[in-house]
Amino acid sequence: MNKTIIININGIVFHIEEDAYEILKNYMTDVKRHFSNSADSLEITTDIENRIAEMFTEILTRDNKQVIIEQDVNAVIAQMGTVADFETADEEEKTDQNPFGAPGAASRRLFRDPDDRLVAGVCAGIANYFDFNPVWVRLAFVIFTAFAGTGLLVYIILWVVIPKAVSRADRMAMRGEKQNLQGFKKNFEEEMNAMRQNLNNFGHEARPFVYKARDFTGDFFHHFGIFLAGAGRVFVKIVGVFILLACLGFSIAAIVLLITFIGFSGDHPTNFFPMSIIADHNANNVYICAFIVALVPLLSIIMVTLKGIFNVGNIGKSTGTVFLVLWICALGMLIYYSVRISENFRESASFTETVNLKATKNNTYYLKLNNIKYFSHEDSLRLDIKDHFKNMVVIDDDYNGFHNEPNSFEIHIEKGDVTYPVLEETYSARGYDYDDALLNARNTSYVFAQQDSVLKFDYSLRKTPHTPWRNEYVELTLKVPMNAKVVVDRKLDNYVRDINLYDCNQEDKRQDNEPAVFTMTDSGLQCKIDTIVTAKKDSVKVKADSAKKAE
Amino acid sequence: MIVENTQTQMRKGILEYCILSIIAKGETYASDIIAELKKAQLLVVEGTLYPLLTRLKNNGLLTYNWVESTSGPPRKYYVLSDEGRNVLDQLDKTWEELAFAVQTAIGERKK
Repeated sequence: MNKTIIININGIVFHIEEDAYEILKNYMTDVKRHFSNSADSLEITTDIENRIAEMFTEILTRDNKQVIIEQDVNAVIAQMGTVADFETADEEEKTDQNPFGAPGAASRRLFRDPDDRLVAGVCAGIANYFDFNPVWVRLAFVIFTAFAGTGLLVYIILWVVIPKAVSRADRMAMRGEKQNLQGFKKNFEEEMNAMRQNLNNFGHEARPFVYKARDFTGDFFHHFGIFLAGAGRVFVKIVGVFILLACLGFSIAAIVLLITFIGFSGDHPTNFFPMSIIADHNANNVYICAFIVALVPLLSIIMVTLKGIFNVGNIGKSTGTVFLVLWICALGMLIYYSVRISENFRESASFTETVNLKATKNNTYYLKLNNIKYFSHEDSLRLDIKDHFKNMVVIDDDYNGFHNEPNSFEIHIEKGDVTYPVLEETYSARGYDYDDALLNARNTSYVFAQQDSVLKFDYSLRKTPHTPWRNEYVELTLKVPMNAKVVVDRKLDNYVRDINLYDCNQEDKRQDNEPAVFTMTDSGLQCKIDTIVTAKKDSVKVKADSAKKAE
Repeated sequence: MIVENTQTQMRKGILEYCILSIIAKGETYASDIIAELKKAQLLVVEGTLYPLLTRLKNNGLLTYNWVESTSGPPRKYYVLSDEGRNVLDQLDKTWEELAFAVQTAIGERKK
């Protein structure tokens, strides 16, 4: 049993076996190509086709059958003659025109080589034509592409102009026998003429150009597809590996974070951001939900990448559903907790406490950051500070002027109305409602100590242990009497407002790390500059004197 | 090489003359021409005939008529044009001269 194909030769329909059809098709392609350089190619090939149709009809009638088989096609071709036979005839004609040419030498023709190609076989074809290694031709194209893409442009033009070697005859003609110089020159001129004609045809006839463009586009996408499938596949795999590594890294990070968070939150509350605002009793739920929300997409990406790019593993429908449900649940819970937590910041409350300080004799006040460790009542009992550290001072290890917890206090220095300095402490906090906010503010304390002329400020607001952060804040306003000298330590730089310690030190020509010295005036704190002013006055006087003398 | 060259040239020269002669007998179909040429052992494959016929037609020596066929597509039946007839007459003369020349030349040798 054989498959048959229905063909139509100039209006006559034939049933032909598949094998026979292949032979006939190749034969006709060769014939058409052979006559393509002739002006009457259409007429000649039509004549040949008609004759073939006639011969087929004769065979079918003679043998009283319905299908054309391989032998029939071969018989017809034998009668009609192969392209090689035509070429012998052509050679005779050419010999006629060029009596000095070497007749009978198999000529090479320029074709695109589909067997040895990287893109469209242009380079391999040229290499075949001139009989050298295609590598050099390719190299030349690559090098010329560097010059404003010339190589690429030439390549595309050649791709359009040079026909592809389709049949075996083409390939034989393409490889040919090695040419002598005469034959080579002749052949080359012919090819150039043919190419020129092809190019001219583009201008004159729209139809062949349309066909050529269609073939070219088809060719191009075909090769582009192969290129993507080849070189692209490698690229896709590399990208896949990167995606996998990244997702794996994120997953590990998520797992480590989860363990850390759960481990830490069990012990004591910390000052780090996400943990500081979450109430203890539901902290673990929040962490687990966040973990699932992060991990599910990562796992999905890993699985899809593995399946899609490396074709490893299998994603069942149920797995996907479970993942989706899990993720939506976790996301829902996370949103719920986020809303619950943010509700705790809805209302704000604040209150002010005023502390009267002792006045000093020389009206000078040194503002410093406290480096003494503060202990809560419970802590001092637990550590037995009274007995173990009698007459000793426990130093705060964290003391360096910078802390990783949020800045929870600020200092303003203003002019006071009385003869002694006054410290106003304004505590504020946020809460679920006003009562809660006020309670939160009340649960904080700020440690401030006066030792004669030294005013010591603690670096942080203290609050009751095991309570979440509710944006507690204390605003300190130090009101000093008129003409008081205020010496501010550099370590308070992050906390004092309205004045600039760095500028003051620059103005007074002090080292940057020295305390800045200010004086309280009617218009607020001023940097002390009296010594420099007198020096300037002197220099002006001296200048004036010398000017007088000169007169 | 030179032998082949001369042979093909001789063959080619008389091929067109023979084709014109065959067509001169009346309306002729391509396969009839082939049959005659095969009998004369001048041409073996049909495919080579079509370019020749097309060229002769384009040179104005031939014209053709379409004739409906029972066994396939319409056939082209070739006839000589007036110019073709003139050319054939000249070729006839030339051939007689050539034949005489050749006869004389080889006749001397063969004797």
